[in-house]
Amino acid sequence: MTIPEFLRGSSELTVTGPKVIASFEVFGITVNFTETIVLQWFVIALILGLCRFLTHKLTVSGVSKRQVIAEMLVDAIHNLVSDTMGKRWMFMTPYIATIFAFSICGSLISLLGLRAVTSDFSVLATWAVITFLLITATKIRFNGVGGWLKGFLDPVPVMLPINILSEVATPVSMALRHFGNIAGGAVITALLYYGLTGLSRMVGLEIPLFTIGIPAVLSIYFDLFSSFMQAFIFIMLTMVFISNAGPAEDEA
Amino acid sequence: MLDFLSIDIGTILFTLINTLILFLGLKHFLFKPVNAVLEQRQQAVDQSLQAAEDAKNSAESTKAEYEEKLAAAKEESAEMLRKATRQAQRRADEIVAEAKADAAAVMQQNTEELEREKRRAAKELRNEVSALAVMVAEKVMDREINPDDHARLIDAFIDGVEDAQ
Repeated sequence: MTIPEFLRGSSELTVTGPKVIASFEVFGITVNFTETIVLQWFVIALILGLCRFLTHKLTVSGVSKRQVIAEMLVDAIHNLVSDTMGKRWMFMTPYIATIFAFSICGSLISLLGLRAVTSDFSVLATWAVITFLLITATKIRFNGVGGWLKGFLDPVPVMLPINILSEVATPVSMALRHFGNIAGGAVITALLYYGLTGLSRMVGLEIPLFTIGIPAVLSIYFDLFSSFMQAFIFIMLTMVFISNAGPAEDEA
Repeated sequence: MLDFLSIDIGTILFTLINTLILFLGLKHFLFKPVNAVLEQRQQAVDQSLQAAEDAKNSAESTKAEYEEKLAAAKEESAEMLRKATRQAQRRADEIVAEAKADAAAVMQQNTEELEREKRRAAKELRNEVSALAVMVAEKVMDREINPDDHARLIDAFIDGVEDAQ
């Protein structure tokens, strides 16, 4: 009796980046269209579909359960932004909600056996760069270009290289932290499957029965907890850095 | 296949576009309708509060008005009572005065009547006595005396008696 290939478990361990579906040459630069982008579309469709479902037939009174959930979500993100950043940053709420929802859902699709969107460093780099640009824009808005440039010489001009480094370190550390947690979780899960398959072989099981159940326990941490945690950390850092770039609330 | 840790221009570009799409989508499909309904509800609540405030104010003014009216009515009734009491007192005084006057009149009348009666009785008695005296004298003298002379004599006698009294 032969056992089908897909029941034999992982026989080799490969850790790779996202697959490239298509490549274009634009002005001599190679632009890749990867797996990540298709998964992003899936995530966007999921989130917007959920929004459409939740905000279906909104009423002022006689509220449905769906509407309660929608109002709770909006209220929660509003409160989070107003508590962390202050009332004058309320216009940032939809952006913060976007990053939060995109990050959480992008990480959680790993539960469906898909490659997490957030295990692609380019995605996190994009979001971190947006945050960096918002921080810089805020500094220029409140101090002017001169004030912003002079800020690099504080407190003494010798500090210039260190100030530049700390400025750049902000988005780099944010992106790498998020990427490392999600991608690392994926690698560890792959390693665990590989290891449990080998263990099953060693005790003479053709079908790797050890891979049933045990990875789910670790998945609670690496997929569920990490996904929420990293998304939350990312938006918290974004909010704190942006609001700290401006003067304190009572001075403004 | 890209490297595990790679920076890819295409992915960054598309991620930027996708993030923008999700941003606009969330704004349009979640924040806009929910905020609109929350604002409507806030307005409805504000309106209800305003209406309640108005109703309270109106109730308070009505209450004040009624209290004023009640006080005025109490004052009026007290005034009426005072007036009635005064009137009754006056009437009572009048009745007593009238009764006293009546009683005095009756007394006066009675006194006059009594006097008149007394005089009449005295006159009668005098006539009777004179007639009796004439009769006695006639018997004694056995002859008729002119009654007029007798009456004069007796009157003089009675007057003498009365003066003696």
